[in-house]
Amino acid sequence: MMSGFFGAIIDIVSSESTYINGALFAAFLVFAASGEFVAERAGTLNISVEGMLLGGAFTSAIGYHLTDSMLIALVTGVAGGLIVAGVQAEMSHRLTADQFVVGLTLNILVFGLAGFLDNEIEPETQLASRWEIPLLHDIPLFGTALFGQRWPFYFLFLLLPATWWIVFRTRWGLELRSVGENPQSADVSGIDVNKRRRQSIYYAGFTSGMGGWFLIFGQIGLFEDSVVGGRGFIAIAAVIFGGWTVRGTVAGCVIFAGALSFRLSVQGLGYQVNSELLQSLPFIVTLGGMAIFAHRVRAPAALAQPFVRGLK
Amino acid sequence: MTPSSTDRNGADPHAGSALAVDLRKITKRFGAVTACDSVDLALRRGRIHGILGENGAGKSTLMKMLIGLVLPDEGTICIDGVEQKIHSPSDASRLGLGMVHQHFSLVEALTVWENVALGETGRLDPTAIRNRIGDIADQYGLVIEPDAQVGNLTAGLRQRVEIIKCLRRDPSIVIFDEPTSVLTPEESAQLFESLRHVVADEGRAVVLVSHKLDEILHATDDISIMRQGAVVNRLLAEDADAPTLARGMVGREVSLRSERAAFGLLAANAAPTAVHDNQIGDVVLTMSGVTVRGLSGIRALDDLSIELRAGEIVGVAGVEGNGQRELGDLLSSLVSLDAGSVSVNGEHIPAGRSGAMAKAGVGVIPEDRHDSGVVLDMSVAENLVLVDQSNVANRGLIDQHALEAFAVELIEQFGILCAGPHAPMWSLSGGNQQRVVLARELAQHPVVLVAAQPTRGLDVGAIEYMGERLTAAASAGVAVLLISSELEEILDLSHRIVVMHSGRIVGEMNRAAVDIEQLGLLMGGAAT
Amino acid sequence: MTEMTTSRQGARIGEWLAFYGLSVLVALLLSALLVEATGGDWRPVVSALLDGSLRRPGRWGETLGTAAPMLLVAVGTIISGKAGLVNIGQEGQLFVGAAFATYFGFLVGGPGPFNLVIIVIFGAVGGALWAGVAALLKFWRNVPEVLSTLLLVAVGGQVVAYGLSQSWLLLAPLGDRGNRNQVSQQLPKNNRLPSPEVFGNRIPLAVVIGLVSAVAVSAVLARTVWGFRLRMLGRNSRAAQRSGVSQTGYGASALMISGAFAGLAGAVMLAGGGFAFGNYQLVPGFATNIGWTGLLVALVAREKALVAIPVAFVFAGLRTGSSFVGSTGVEGRITDVIQGFLVLALLVPPAVMFIRDRRRAQAAAAERV
Repeated sequence: MMSGFFGAIIDIVSSESTYINGALFAAFLVFAASGEFVAERAGTLNISVEGMLLGGAFTSAIGYHLTDSMLIALVTGVAGGLIVAGVQAEMSHRLTADQFVVGLTLNILVFGLAGFLDNEIEPETQLASRWEIPLLHDIPLFGTALFGQRWPFYFLFLLLPATWWIVFRTRWGLELRSVGENPQSADVSGIDVNKRRRQSIYYAGFTSGMGGWFLIFGQIGLFEDSVVGGRGFIAIAAVIFGGWTVRGTVAGCVIFAGALSFRLSVQGLGYQVNSELLQSLPFIVTLGGMAIFAHRVRAPAALAQPFVRGLK
Repeated sequence: MTPSSTDRNGADPHAGSALAVDLRKITKRFGAVTACDSVDLALRRGRIHGILGENGAGKSTLMKMLIGLVLPDEGTICIDGVEQKIHSPSDASRLGLGMVHQHFSLVEALTVWENVALGETGRLDPTAIRNRIGDIADQYGLVIEPDAQVGNLTAGLRQRVEIIKCLRRDPSIVIFDEPTSVLTPEESAQLFESLRHVVADEGRAVVLVSHKLDEILHATDDISIMRQGAVVNRLLAEDADAPTLARGMVGREVSLRSERAAFGLLAANAAPTAVHDNQIGDVVLTMSGVTVRGLSGIRALDDLSIELRAGEIVGVAGVEGNGQRELGDLLSSLVSLDAGSVSVNGEHIPAGRSGAMAKAGVGVIPEDRHDSGVVLDMSVAENLVLVDQSNVANRGLIDQHALEAFAVELIEQFGILCAGPHAPMWSLSGGNQQRVVLARELAQHPVVLVAAQPTRGLDVGAIEYMGERLTAAASAGVAVLLISSELEEILDLSHRIVVMHSGRIVGEMNRAAVDIEQLGLLMGGAAT
Repeated sequence: MTEMTTSRQGARIGEWLAFYGLSVLVALLLSALLVEATGGDWRPVVSALLDGSLRRPGRWGETLGTAAPMLLVAVGTIISGKAGLVNIGQEGQLFVGAAFATYFGFLVGGPGPFNLVIIVIFGAVGGALWAGVAALLKFWRNVPEVLSTLLLVAVGGQVVAYGLSQSWLLLAPLGDRGNRNQVSQQLPKNNRLPSPEVFGNRIPLAVVIGLVSAVAVSAVLARTVWGFRLRMLGRNSRAAQRSGVSQTGYGASALMISGAFAGLAGAVMLAGGGFAFGNYQLVPGFATNIGWTGLLVALVAREKALVAIPVAFVFAGLRTGSSFVGSTGVEGRITDVIQGFLVLALLVPPAVMFIRDRRRAQAAAAERV
């Protein structure tokens, strides 16, 4: 029994498809998590990521359906994410509605809207073509996973370093971080706290919209209302698990993606494992990861605390 | 109207000093309250201008208008003769106005240079900022490590960062807002020395905002006294004396013998104090070897030991940031101990267990009432029973009539100004909120009463009231632990004074035999 | 600092009504626009909604019966909300509660009314335990409950699905299964919640349970010492800590009680739901979004248990009405969208008014520090 178990593990770990799937899942999570990272460093707890992802996925599908252009689909996808971000940002950081309530409602609303409109319109989409980067994609195990994917995947190589640079090397990023740590001090120093927070949410909308586009054209190839399936929340967990750093966030995404991919591989390679256990594995891993790391990490001091000048 | 005053020799001391800031008829109303009432103020270059007033007199609002955080309802602001509208801190900074804030301007998680850079515009250039910090260090002697994390710095160093942050933009008008609460007497003297440099060297105008008579008397050139939103007197520092200033601040004759602490006047050794001779009883509070580690692993309280007897007031003197907050938190059951023990009446109290201290009879007036003292969204009545509901509860239910009666009685007894027992806490002024806290704690008939910075932000009347109440409590047998960074208050009220530095008690003396210089040295960390 | 005169109070109520009325109107307008934009006609949709929820015979009983579990979930959510906790895992707690109710209901057996009591109690226990997992994770390992409760919805679904596939757990014996392979035994007729007929409508007893719960919780929160201390915890946890209200103790209790209510909702759905809720049998997906809707009810009711009663009725009406909408040619799912728009619209007025009120009073106290 045990040798069978270890044999299975080795099988899975040495199979290229594990890494390819893992990279795909991780990429989607990173698109979402990089935006959420920025939003949370600014002190907002943006749980409408799920809605941003789904909204972006849907609008990108519509964009392609109307124009047959994947680049236009990218634009419409980002627009979709930004629209959802707009509702979240304006309601919770201009009108001071509770950000949890707004975020939750948005998720449900976007789900309903996307489902409803999907049935009415039924957009047709397809997968983007593969771009295999010469030489690099021949590296065993990781090569195809990182360098042999469909071309939307490679946007991540731009987005991730750009996010890091924006948050840690620009003035906007400095102000963003100050707003997430001590909004009173930032306010007194002349920074418009809620404006920066809104902007951070828009950034999350931007990356998540792109993530939705990636999901359709870089991974799945079609749109359904269940296409995001709760992974927006896993992205939030990744940011927390990663201690609100870029490195940690990516690590979190990779680990959770690993669990998702593991699940696929087990089924794909024909192993018989209790299906309910498999299905719930990514969520259990997420819970476990948080249980281990949530204790030790330090959140931005003003996370999820709304700021209104004059009210302490 | 710019005042025309003459000095003793009949000459105009202002001749030759340009008018940096000219405020005319500045008015600001918040609802029914007029915070600033047609204020005229003239600040001249090359001189230090003191704005003296008790808490609530309108000084902070006035300065906030200069710095762009508040917009005036009426009146004009002229900078160097040109009328300006200051809509934001960046506007103010562009006009050459800079303020060294008392609190709320630094972000602990960021480094010194990042904090100094905060609020500017343009590309982020760490090297340039570091160089600028170095330049300021050379010029003013304000040395600091640019890559240090502000959260790890002491209060004195943090103020240094505030000053650097202000000076970095090369302001020609510098406002210092109540700067000495975080400084020892010696450091304060040094600060005022630097102020002279700042003013003299480059023809700057400096404003010193304070509620302390001593500071204003000795450190400034021109004085404006504000009371209830208006400027009531303008005079030269050399023409001023303590009684005149005090009278201006509160609008009545003042007995500086009995009220001097409230005005921030340091009592001389031999002067009679407000301390009465109580029957000082047995030891009721014992803290021994108390050690508490803060978030970053640094010991906030380090092997601290103290004993308190019934009926005595022990003043814990010390500059902010030496563990006073953690001491208050410990006695509020908000932190747990890494070592040592706390006992009340001989019984060991588990630290960190919720409600244990309160149950043992430790009443607390916390440093920041919004943090752990009151619940703003609840009513006054509810706040009055926050800690112990047994007076108004009946078999698990809250008796609404009993609650109301209890509240009404305390409201009357303590003179709490509010719309009624059901008024929401957030509708009360700070002073009245403090009275609610005081009322609640005293109504519990505590064995020990911890008063942490109890008069911070209060006006003279409220300060005196608090002092009276604390003294009365001690006379009734309560052991009072007065933690305050205002030395005047400590000297006024305490039977015994201990000094806290770096989380431990570094010295002790009886009020009767106090040595101010020694106190100052101990507060600054110099060994005995 | 000022006392409000009666006329000012009257003006405030008028203002309040106008604000809310306007928001609801905007939400409905948007929904109507959506229907028109996708080729439908909004008038038949409204008619269908009214038919399905109220007008047709027996429908308002259905609506009440649907509102009951929503109300129970909402009431539980209000309790955890008052303690300052964000529980969004009701859908899972409901399902696990229903599973416990099924399992122990059949295990213990017994005469009808006795069995019903078992079902109801174990439903609550199951929900409480499931919420307890999140409480454990929060108070022992600092995992934010907003995430853990949510993740546990997925895990809970899988756990119960496993139970439904095992005959030693929940799966019905071969003969009783029909064509399905993941279904529990059906509750025998005597072990179901009675649904007395009132004016031609079947109104399950669950409605009474829901109403009583809402009133009871409202009273407990407002008038008991426990409720007072819970509210203190939610508003200022440090003041609460000083006063003997430990976050762990009260917080975990509140979370588990909230789970208990969700589980209770699952139990009454099982025992009293009829065709709307699985026909007295546990199946995968049993919760059918009642948990999510109950959560929304609590959010819209702004943590007031008594307000949750009419709100639950409205949301239940949307749900029962939606089954009639399909026949007009418009997707039934439009009601999900209407629901979302309504909730968002209803969030705006209180937020704006809160800011305005706070600013006024704070300013009055402003300079007097």
